[in-house]
Amino acid sequence: MIAAVQTPPVDCAAATARPATDPVAQALWHPLCAMETLHQDGALSTRLMDEPLRVSIAGGRAVVQAPQRDGATLPAVVRFGYVWTRPDGVDDPHSGLFQIPEYDEPDRRNVHAATVGVRTSAPRAVENFLDMGHFPFVHTGVLGAEPHTEVREYEVALNEAGTEVLATRCRFHQPQAAAGAAQGMLVEYVYRVPHPYCSVLYKSCPSDTSRLDVIALFLQPVGQERVRAHALVSVIDDDSSDLAIRMFQQSIFAQDKPILENQRPVRLPLDPRAETPIRADRSAIVYRRWLSALGLTYGCLPAPA
Amino acid sequence: MAGTDAGVDAGGGALRLHDYALSGTGYKVRLLLSMLDIAAERIEVDFYPAAEHRGDAFLALNPLGQLPVLQHGDLVLRDSKAILIYLASLHDARGDWWPVGDAVRTAQTVQWLAFADELTATAGRARLIEGFFYPGDLPTLRRRAHECLRILDRHLWFAERAGHGWLVAGSRPTLADLACFACVALSEEGGVMHEDYPAIRRWCDRVGRLPGFVSMPGVFPPGPGPDRGPDRDGVPSPVPTS
Amino acid sequence: MIDPESARSLWFPIAAGTDLAARHVFHARLLGRELAVWRADDGHPNAWENRCLHRGVRLTIGINDGAELVCRYHGWRYANRTAECTYIPAHPADAPARTVCNTRYPLIERHGLLWCAEAPGPATSLPELPDELSLTMRAIPVAAPLAAVRTALIELGAVHDGKQLHGAIGEVLYLLQPVDASRTVIRGLLRPAADRSRDERTDRAATANATAYGAADEALLLEHDERLERLRRAIEADPARRHDPDDWPVVAPLVAASLATMPEPGAEGRAAPLRLRVGSMVRTADGSVLEIDLLPLDADAHLPGATPGAHIDLHLPNGLVRQYSLANAPGQTDRYRIGVLREPVSTGGSAWLFERLRTGDVLAASVPRNGFALRRDAVDTLLIAGGIGITALASMTMTLQRGGHAYRLCYLARSAEHFALMDRLAPLGDALECLSGLDAAASRAVIAERLGPYREAHHVYVCGPTGLIGCVRELAAELGWPDEAVHFEHFGNAAPLDTRGAFQVRLARSGLNLTVPDGQTLLQTLREHGVPVPSSCEQGACGTCRVAVLDGQPDHRDVYLNAAERKRGDCLMSCVSRASSAALTLDL
Repeated sequence: MIAAVQTPPVDCAAATARPATDPVAQALWHPLCAMETLHQDGALSTRLMDEPLRVSIAGGRAVVQAPQRDGATLPAVVRFGYVWTRPDGVDDPHSGLFQIPEYDEPDRRNVHAATVGVRTSAPRAVENFLDMGHFPFVHTGVLGAEPHTEVREYEVALNEAGTEVLATRCRFHQPQAAAGAAQGMLVEYVYRVPHPYCSVLYKSCPSDTSRLDVIALFLQPVGQERVRAHALVSVIDDDSSDLAIRMFQQSIFAQDKPILENQRPVRLPLDPRAETPIRADRSAIVYRRWLSALGLTYGCLPAPA
Repeated sequence: MAGTDAGVDAGGGALRLHDYALSGTGYKVRLLLSMLDIAAERIEVDFYPAAEHRGDAFLALNPLGQLPVLQHGDLVLRDSKAILIYLASLHDARGDWWPVGDAVRTAQTVQWLAFADELTATAGRARLIEGFFYPGDLPTLRRRAHECLRILDRHLWFAERAGHGWLVAGSRPTLADLACFACVALSEEGGVMHEDYPAIRRWCDRVGRLPGFVSMPGVFPPGPGPDRGPDRDGVPSPVPTS
Repeated sequence: MIDPESARSLWFPIAAGTDLAARHVFHARLLGRELAVWRADDGHPNAWENRCLHRGVRLTIGINDGAELVCRYHGWRYANRTAECTYIPAHPADAPARTVCNTRYPLIERHGLLWCAEAPGPATSLPELPDELSLTMRAIPVAAPLAAVRTALIELGAVHDGKQLHGAIGEVLYLLQPVDASRTVIRGLLRPAADRSRDERTDRAATANATAYGAADEALLLEHDERLERLRRAIEADPARRHDPDDWPVVAPLVAASLATMPEPGAEGRAAPLRLRVGSMVRTADGSVLEIDLLPLDADAHLPGATPGAHIDLHLPNGLVRQYSLANAPGQTDRYRIGVLREPVSTGGSAWLFERLRTGDVLAASVPRNGFALRRDAVDTLLIAGGIGITALASMTMTLQRGGHAYRLCYLARSAEHFALMDRLAPLGDALECLSGLDAAASRAVIAERLGPYREAHHVYVCGPTGLIGCVRELAAELGWPDEAVHFEHFGNAAPLDTRGAFQVRLARSGLNLTVPDGQTLLQTLREHGVPVPSSCEQGACGTCRVAVLDGQPDHRDVYLNAAERKRGDCLMSCVSRASSAALTLDL
């Protein structure tokens, strides 16, 4: 059976809100905003899975309300400096969010680097984050440069509990792996996908090679084809200013934006015959199979039965 | 520091540009700085999410709270049009970009610089709404941006026929092309797509192939142009028959 | 109301000839389907599905480099005409699988316009348009369905004569392109103001593309443009003319099932599906080399693309099958260029070609295969060609030259008269070094000097007589070059085929247990049992019949693998190699 792919209209009007029907996605925690932004603005309005939400601070705690559910309150937690909520309203203390132990280390600098709106689906954005083959073409001179385009063989697997995809030994030649480095070198990354719409990257810390620097991408699915991408940078770094860290991440995101916004279909196709994988895409293959196994449909085009 | 504009001493010192790497209006100035090979100190403004441009220190520099702002000695200039004209007046001795002495062409350049402002207010605003969560009426802004792009596409189509392919008729691009390009190149981030505007798409390739062109995150440089003579600035020319 | 499904068999104009500017990619849409339309430097226009096969990124944001379309995301390159993927930068050591090919749509250039039909029926043809309407108007996109636009034009006074929609008949013709359910493009053809004589209007395309228009033509274009702009505004202001853009869903072509999973070993045998006609035959190198152009039978057709380093099997009428490297320029698919060396003691191949082959003869050939792929991620590439070995390296050098990569070609020949393919190599300029008349010691000294001590991301490719290859490999090893940086291809394997010694073979995937008997090769045994394995030279030189080994100890009899690969023991050439352990487990 051929999966029909709709071409989107050229000039999108605002996405018509359709009630979210994916119970798997509704049972997940999703990020809404950085606490720092909430403190700065006092309160803010946003959208999650086609539904408007209002985030405010009351008595020092973050409060999430759903205007379309008669102002009902949704569960709210603050993790890694962001407010998270669960659209199905279930506040189950045992189904918590994934951990990033490095975040709590006392000498860490945790920087909210960006919240960027991108017209793509959350799974597409996760795959882009996992992908290294695009470094020389999209992040030219920063994360990669021709002729060093090879993606070397790496290891990837779903963990035994079926809760995380882990890719290790991901190596790529980078022109300036660290500020002040005179020449390029092979850097090694580890990627984790501990949540269908979140990914965490680990790389060796330049100032202390026994430790890892962390860059985390938390995607807020505003709609099936629209996200707010939140970026957390958690590093051991006494030299760079917050502004420099922010500008670096925002520039990287802005370089990825026209690629993500020009991908068709916008939702991630889970049918193996939709696209052509190469060996460099093994983490994406594992990720897509995981989403299918979870039964996740929001932001995806499920494989035909 | 803005003070009065009378008797400003702009003579000495380095140029300092207050800018944000992802700013579309800042891009207009970055383009000219590169094309004219002008050295300027870049001061990054913490635009997002800190909104430094709305803070007291920046408002003292530009009460409108907008980027970019140029400082030169005691002179403080806001508004990308003003900055472009100022830089060209200082550094464009041949009058390539700012055709002083030619009343018609300078007036036309200003006409299209104003048009670039219209693009900034519509397509640029749509981009800020989509990417940076500014408030605004997206459908109306997009509709108005498309009206502008239709006008631009038609103008460029006839400009190609006339043999030059620039906004202001002549053998060379002017400030108008840079100012309009910066908005157009980023418009798809705001959902204002270029598909219906083939002449604009070809013009974007031409601008991107100008010596001294720089891109910015979100703008891809076009691939190399053809090697042969008359095609050099990308104006359509006879198809090779062999 | 237009029915999109039946309209998919009709021809519609989707671009003007001038829209396909040099090194530009035009964005078209027809009946809801997006197309990337571009013209290569050779003038050929292409209309492809506007999605890279890899991750669906639009090709309209890609780069037209004159011969290939390059995707922005990962740099995948697709060749002019064939739409075949010729290079995947993430895996520079592999030639892409043969069938990674984008979807092409039929495209015809006529009347200064490009016409496309998604799936032309046998009866559908291009409309006949009058030659005198040679001025192409600016395309006007209208946000309304085709029927509404047609109605509006008729209300304005246009007349449908049964075939076409005319303004003033003989003065302006309107062609409507159904972009999608809610948009239409009006394309107009005008009679030029100046009454040009028939002699001047020889080539329609050239006339339409000329940049210098008379002032009268300019005025005419403006007048009609303004008229249509007014029409557009009126149509778009009328809410009754609008339509829901989602009404025409488009089916994206699926990837072939074999490509949906990780790349696997090939599944064809020694097939020869191509029929090639001998075009020109030129003797060069003092008569010792025959350079042959092989053409497709149908003059308008193109041949399957070949990546640099590829070869074809040529099936000669005398029953012999011989391998020849393709010395094609990048993106050249209108012919294959091979070079045949006159062997003093020929096994029947070169003798037959030199003595019997005539222009116009038809030969059977395989599709190009590549076991000698070029990496394009080297910081510097040294190519060493000995004699006829130049045929394998010529296409590599042309590709590196075009890509602006750093390289040097050192071409060694017997004497100054013995250099072949010089018409291809002359444009390489200083990167080419021709050396002749050197004895073994002198060659060795030159090679050592050109190689130099190993530096990271440098690669060397060598093709030529066995002695030359051996010398280069030895010297490279001495100079610290790792095996992965030294690439070679032998013409053949001089060692006689020895099929003694039976051994067991277990096939891990199909679960078969086979015995390769005395007197048979592994390749023969596998084929006999219905396990398809491709092959080409069947001498252990080209790499085509490689199979992966999961367990057991191979006994390598080939000249294809390097020392590191042999030691790893994770593959072998099934046409010649056997086992030193009692059994092998293969990944088949």
